[in-house]
Amino acid sequence: MSGQPFRAVGRAIPRIDGLEKVTGRARYVTDLVVPGMAHAKVLRSPYAHARVRKVDVTRARAHPGVFAALCGTDLTWCEPYYGPAYRDRPVLVIDVARYEGEPVAAVAAVDEATADQALDLIEVDYEPLSPVMTLEEALVPGAPLVHTGTPQAGHFADLASLRAVPGTNVCHQFHFERGDSGRGLASADLVLDETYRFPPVQHVALEAHAAVALWSETDGLTIWASTQNPYSVRVELAKMFDVPLARIRVVVPHLGGGFGSKTYAKLEPLAAALARAAGRPVRLAASVAEAFQTVRRCAARVNVRVGFGRDGRLVAVECGADYDVGAYADIGPRVVQKATYTATGPYRVAAVTLDARAVYTNTTPGGAFRGFGVPQLAWALESLFDVAAERLGRDPVELRRQNFLAHGEEFAPGDTPIDGKLEESLGRAAETIGWTQAGTADRGRGVAAMLKASVAPSVSEAIVRLHTDGSVTVLASAVEMGQGTRTVLAQIAAEVLSVPMARVIVVQPDTAVTPYDQTTSSSRSTAMTGRAVQVAAEDVREQLLHVAAAELGIAVKDLALDDGAVVAPSRRLTYAEVLMHRFGMSGGEIIGRGIVAPGRTAAPLGGSTPFWEVAVGAAEVSVDEETGALRVERYVSVADVGRAINPLLLEGQDEGGVVQGLGHTLLEEMLYQDGHLLNGTLLAYRVPRADDAPPALECRFVENADGSGPFGAKGAGEGSLIPVSPAVSNALARLTGVRLRDLPLTPERVWRALRARRRR
Amino acid sequence: MDDARAATRIRLAVNGRSCDLEVASHALLLDVLRDVLDLKGAKRSCDIQVCGACTVLVDGMAVSACTYLAIEADGRTVLTVEGLADGESLHPLQRAFLDAGAVQCGFCTSGMLLTARAMLTETPAPTREDVLHYLRGSLCRCTGYRKIVEAIMAAAETAR
Amino acid sequence: MLRPFTLHRPETTEEACALLAGIGEDAVPYAGGTELLLLMKLGLLRPPHLVDVKRIPELSGLTDGGRLTIGATVTHRALEQSALVRERCPLVASVARHVANVRVRNVGTVGGNLAFADPHSDLATLFLALDARVELVSPGGRRELALDDFVRGPWETVRRPDELLSCVRLAPWPSRVAAYVKFGVHERPTLGIAVALTVNGRDGRGAARIQDARIAVGCVGPRPMRVAEAEVRLRGVAADQVDDVVGAVGDIAANGVDPADDMHGSGDYKREMVAVFTRRALRAAAARARGVEPMIGFPYAVVA
Repeated sequence: MSGQPFRAVGRAIPRIDGLEKVTGRARYVTDLVVPGMAHAKVLRSPYAHARVRKVDVTRARAHPGVFAALCGTDLTWCEPYYGPAYRDRPVLVIDVARYEGEPVAAVAAVDEATADQALDLIEVDYEPLSPVMTLEEALVPGAPLVHTGTPQAGHFADLASLRAVPGTNVCHQFHFERGDSGRGLASADLVLDETYRFPPVQHVALEAHAAVALWSETDGLTIWASTQNPYSVRVELAKMFDVPLARIRVVVPHLGGGFGSKTYAKLEPLAAALARAAGRPVRLAASVAEAFQTVRRCAARVNVRVGFGRDGRLVAVECGADYDVGAYADIGPRVVQKATYTATGPYRVAAVTLDARAVYTNTTPGGAFRGFGVPQLAWALESLFDVAAERLGRDPVELRRQNFLAHGEEFAPGDTPIDGKLEESLGRAAETIGWTQAGTADRGRGVAAMLKASVAPSVSEAIVRLHTDGSVTVLASAVEMGQGTRTVLAQIAAEVLSVPMARVIVVQPDTAVTPYDQTTSSSRSTAMTGRAVQVAAEDVREQLLHVAAAELGIAVKDLALDDGAVVAPSRRLTYAEVLMHRFGMSGGEIIGRGIVAPGRTAAPLGGSTPFWEVAVGAAEVSVDEETGALRVERYVSVADVGRAINPLLLEGQDEGGVVQGLGHTLLEEMLYQDGHLLNGTLLAYRVPRADDAPPALECRFVENADGSGPFGAKGAGEGSLIPVSPAVSNALARLTGVRLRDLPLTPERVWRALRARRRR
Repeated sequence: MDDARAATRIRLAVNGRSCDLEVASHALLLDVLRDVLDLKGAKRSCDIQVCGACTVLVDGMAVSACTYLAIEADGRTVLTVEGLADGESLHPLQRAFLDAGAVQCGFCTSGMLLTARAMLTETPAPTREDVLHYLRGSLCRCTGYRKIVEAIMAAAETAR
Repeated sequence: MLRPFTLHRPETTEEACALLAGIGEDAVPYAGGTELLLLMKLGLLRPPHLVDVKRIPELSGLTDGGRLTIGATVTHRALEQSALVRERCPLVASVARHVANVRVRNVGTVGGNLAFADPHSDLATLFLALDARVELVSPGGRRELALDDFVRGPWETVRRPDELLSCVRLAPWPSRVAAYVKFGVHERPTLGIAVALTVNGRDGRGAARIQDARIAVGCVGPRPMRVAEAEVRLRGVAADQVDDVVGAVGDIAANGVDPADDMHGSGDYKREMVAVFTRRALRAAAARARGVEPMIGFPYAVVA
């Protein structure tokens, strides 16, 4: 790099989809109208667990205006099971309904009202069975089994070694160890053994799942889907209908939020099956209440044993975590193993034994949700760190600093060395919150740190096309769900090719057009898809330089790109001119390719993380002791991002991550009773509102250009959420002396703990 | 008395333009706006008046279009997000949202803008508490609200 | 979405009542629809006939005549913004301001609120402390009942299918200071406490004393209720010594309720919060008795 300041990268460029969003012109799946499209409605199981003896859709099918009515046993013309880890989830119930809300039958009709009426005509014969609704119930020996058969493995290589425990509700186990943790704990001066619980929570993306599916003889299946990974959906549909990948086209307009809820197939298989049966396009849109019956975060019960030396050194960690993955595995097994792998967080510790289980229950399937299993573990470990600090008489910031992994240090053999400066993030957070300054008696401060790996191995590919007028089209399949990814991709291309942002177009993800991208999740889009775009743009640049070099008779090394032209001292060829030389006519384009695929490595999970996500959170809280109501007055988040390609977008993302984290910390919990979800609507499920946000919220970034992503970038977006619950709980503990181990920290829970403390 | 399936003629002004429509008694304003008038800016989200994604202004008042009979809009003016800008000239609120970075996925944006517009008409010089009070029924899952509040305060400033 | 229905739009109460009587239980009154349309969308109610009462002038009035009369179709927003209400019963305006959210307030009506009898209704709890009486009209005539006799239980009133709630009347206001405090994390409050004190001697010589008190507790039982023993405890207390008895009064109020466990909290937590917020409501009312506007707030609480 020339050392010149960047034109586009690192600047708060207005998001390219901003104008369409503030004028109401942005299109989401539910805004699309496909001529002739039918509208679908789904009949869902009222039971958490029931044998479904019979589903009779005859009357529904015969109802005027109905194009198709399906139940599970109708699906003889496709593979009815899908799932990324296990193919354990039927498109529609077959034999057994395994959670309240599971789709049992579906109708496609001329309009929603007709479809709704037709549902009333479907008769289902249920035989209720005993459900297991909690980890405890599911793990009792001899407990009713959510699944009795052995499902096939899904399509992910890293999950080829799924280890279920036959005859139980454990669908996957993960074990990781190094050193001798038993001996480590035995020799430690301080041993702590505590259990923490993280509740089931829902993403509550304001746009619930939706898809419009259309079959055609010539083009195969086209599906517009609100999905975070079109390519994963494509693979599922191809397998399901035995259609070549190239004949499945997944198109993704704007998403009204994702947060992980829209990773891997959800409603797309059903939409496609209905469209096939109806012989016309079918629109299937879930309500927000139905989203609660589609996917959620995996709840967890985490037992952690830590051993510290008197000097504060962390000597051993043992962790036993059980994750409730609900009725179907979804991506739960990967959540469990990937998160558990980093259960020790950002610390150096020689002796480690980590065990985790993914456990089925008869509840909404648990899948991916921002943080991917790490919030559950950080809740435990970061709380314990503060407990240890108190017992050792040490400052919690100092204790963390002492044990942090250093920049460049190994996390595990074969995996990427730590590429962030934890100490710098911690220092900035502590300084910003005023850690060493005297506070007021009515407020307490707490910190927490986190480390998370990104999914590996993974693949991102991109194509960049330079047109004859010097404008650029970027083809990449990272999905825009609000995080600003498509603006960032444009910035990267604009930077490499030295063209104005207004002349860079990023087309919507479309598997017929934009090349493979594994997923928009795991904080990876800037680092991976962005890198692919960078490589593709550099490919275009190289081609430009070579053509210009030949034309000008100047060595490539003496040429540069500047403002839409190839330049040398006293010579300048616009891209238009270069293309004219290249093609000998006014036409053609230069196409660049970028493939980022680090591949499998010797790292324990089969791939080395492309970057480590590192972040620290610091909270300042007050509590109304008479009611237990906790307020976060101030929150500071510091994320080590390498390079903030768009600082404004990044700050917005992290502010959102903090507030979403406050959701499960203070407010959110899916409540079940007698097999029923009590609060599956926004009337009774409480997400943060504007007045719940901390009055002072600061998100900061450490930028040392030390990432493998474009311009030294790493990933971000999850790190702001993960430390929230332990930082807030630590602040509460420092203020009041009470330590809570179950989330959310409802007023009543805090109140009870305060009373118990007072009684002592 | 109308037969349940018969349509009723209504006339309303939507974004300044007069509309003559025939709607069933049970038709919801949100569906008429989106499906009949092709104004897709108002979104269906929670469908139970909690989230505000469907907010439109009827005679200047914020209503949940998802729970408002279309027939009630007869003789009234309706403002949707598509009517906020003056031609190509953005409303100060739209401008402020863009400048502040208050837009992420955009699904809550229409509702936020219209709610803020109604508030500023009523309270041209809002305090932060006024804004938080007014936004109690407008949810956002992406932004954490800080930039939305900032944008609304900035737009109030600009408008004065 | 909604199932089809026939919408009737009578222009007098006589017409409306005749429709309700004539059609029977297949007809329901409809005003703002904030509760009704929600139930219909959820499929819990599928009335074939809706009787829209918003075109009936008699139901839309907001008048003062000794008692404040609020017509059934007056919206929460109208209540909040009414100059009359702000002058005569400012507390009613400030409580109305905090019901649900601005969209619900713009459209939802007082009559709809009271007739729906949600145990978590702020207005119902407040009005109970203000000696509210509701008027019901039917083809057979009119009757007026105390709000306490009107609401029977959760979402249950004594309104007969052919009756229409036409208005609610609030007690005379002289020398009355009051406060309403609600608390809760969820959309609907976990509890609401209304305190209304009649203080005499404010302008005369001698210490001002509480002549009479009303304490209404809402949300923690099947319907809002007054706690007579707590009210009695306040009689005769000097207005500037209320702070000395708030603890005792709060405890009496807490003992007077028997909350069930639910997602808002366990019974004993709610009971304790009744004590806490009775104290806080009383302190706010006492401050007003001294001519001071209370400025304190509490997390997840509204002090109106």
